[in-house]
Amino acid sequence: MTALNLMIIGGPLLIVIADLIVYLAVGKLGTRSSGKGNKFQPFTGGEEQIPVRGTYQSELFVFAAIFMVVEAFALLLAGSFASPTNFYPLLFLGGGGGAILIVTWWLLVAGGVKF
Amino acid sequence: MLATDIVEILLFPGLTFFVVVAFLFDWLDRKTYARMQRRIGPLIAGPSGVLQPVADFFKLTTKEEIVPEFSDRFIFFYGPPLFFAAPAIGTIFIPILGETGIVSNDFDLLFILFIIAFSALMAALLGYAASGRWSTIAIGRLVVQYTGYEVPLIIALVTPAVLAHSLSISGIVQAQQSLWYVILAPLSFIVFIIAALAELEKPPFDIPSAKTEIVGGWMTEYSGRPLAYIKLTKNLSYAFLSALVVSLFLGGPLGPVLFSDPNFQAVLYFIYFGIKLFVVGFLIYVIRSALARVRIDQAVRFFWMIITPLSMLQLGLIMILWWK
Repeated sequence: MTALNLMIIGGPLLIVIADLIVYLAVGKLGTRSSGKGNKFQPFTGGEEQIPVRGTYQSELFVFAAIFMVVEAFALLLAGSFASPTNFYPLLFLGGGGGAILIVTWWLLVAGGVKF
Repeated sequence: MLATDIVEILLFPGLTFFVVVAFLFDWLDRKTYARMQRRIGPLIAGPSGVLQPVADFFKLTTKEEIVPEFSDRFIFFYGPPLFFAAPAIGTIFIPILGETGIVSNDFDLLFILFIIAFSALMAALLGYAASGRWSTIAIGRLVVQYTGYEVPLIIALVTPAVLAHSLSISGIVQAQQSLWYVILAPLSFIVFIIAALAELEKPPFDIPSAKTEIVGGWMTEYSGRPLAYIKLTKNLSYAFLSALVVSLFLGGPLGPVLFSDPNFQAVLYFIYFGIKLFVVGFLIYVIRSALARVRIDQAVRFFWMIITPLSMLQLGLIMILWWK
């Protein structure tokens, strides 16, 4: 693997690792609290009804998520036409596409799709 | 990977530099917004209040993090740093000290498109993870707005790539040696700025975080360190998208070459880049300060009926007139 290829994979990875380290280190400055009771209920704007967690049924979210998947793969397809090698399209497919697909999967489940 | 590469990626001209720019953008944003409303804005922390965003960040990190009872804890805690990573990774592809970025390849523009898409989806996930009433409403607005602005944003990004015959940001910058693409593709420049306002949730497209309607939008349930990170990410995205505009339409760091020594010339490139970056940032501040919020249906109609055809018109013209 050339130095350039190493930078393409290592650069983003380095940023994610540094970001997580700083995030965890900064967490030592404050306190964290979780539990039950009024303090830990979602904000209701002064109304008594407290929203409970559940799956949100919405065709809109499903549409938006499918839109995202189609868009991501259309971009990959468009980009791969001019590619001199298969390395970068495959890298983006695995890295970028994979990350988006995981998030999209989560979004679809939250939107009410049952697999 | 060499030690110099690590320093470049993490410190200068990489992540730390852009985080500093993000804080400066936040300060300029607040100052400009205040001046346009005949207020003074931040004043106490640092000269003219320039350190106020830094003070706010550290204040938030020391506050109590309250985890709502029904939240998705994993995403609630580890979502904010992942949300931050998206624009942070994008910054390493931006050329600042020369014609190429710290990391550059033939397809980095595609990677940037992924980053923009990933960033919007992460915001949606963070809102879901909080499981609050206002967050849910805000996420509905966010995804609807996203389907409106994403297509023109992509078309506006592709136009410079077509002009330069390159999907590399460095390649597009190098192709602007003689003429900036803002002159050849002014409509794409305008479309990108408008779409960037929607991506950044700035007025008139601050619909997903409209404070007078839905409290704090999708960030309502966040507090302490996660909120500090989310706010910093929004400012980092602000700096990143401005830097992208500079690279794709304003020739990046390119300008008159005055020195034969590459080190002196790199300093000059940095100054050119900085000036262009803050001009673009200021343009966005002025637009966001001058306009009022629109409704979600108006925003989506505006994007699909006006902005998308405009971006396609510009791309079509470019392909007809400049295709080699």
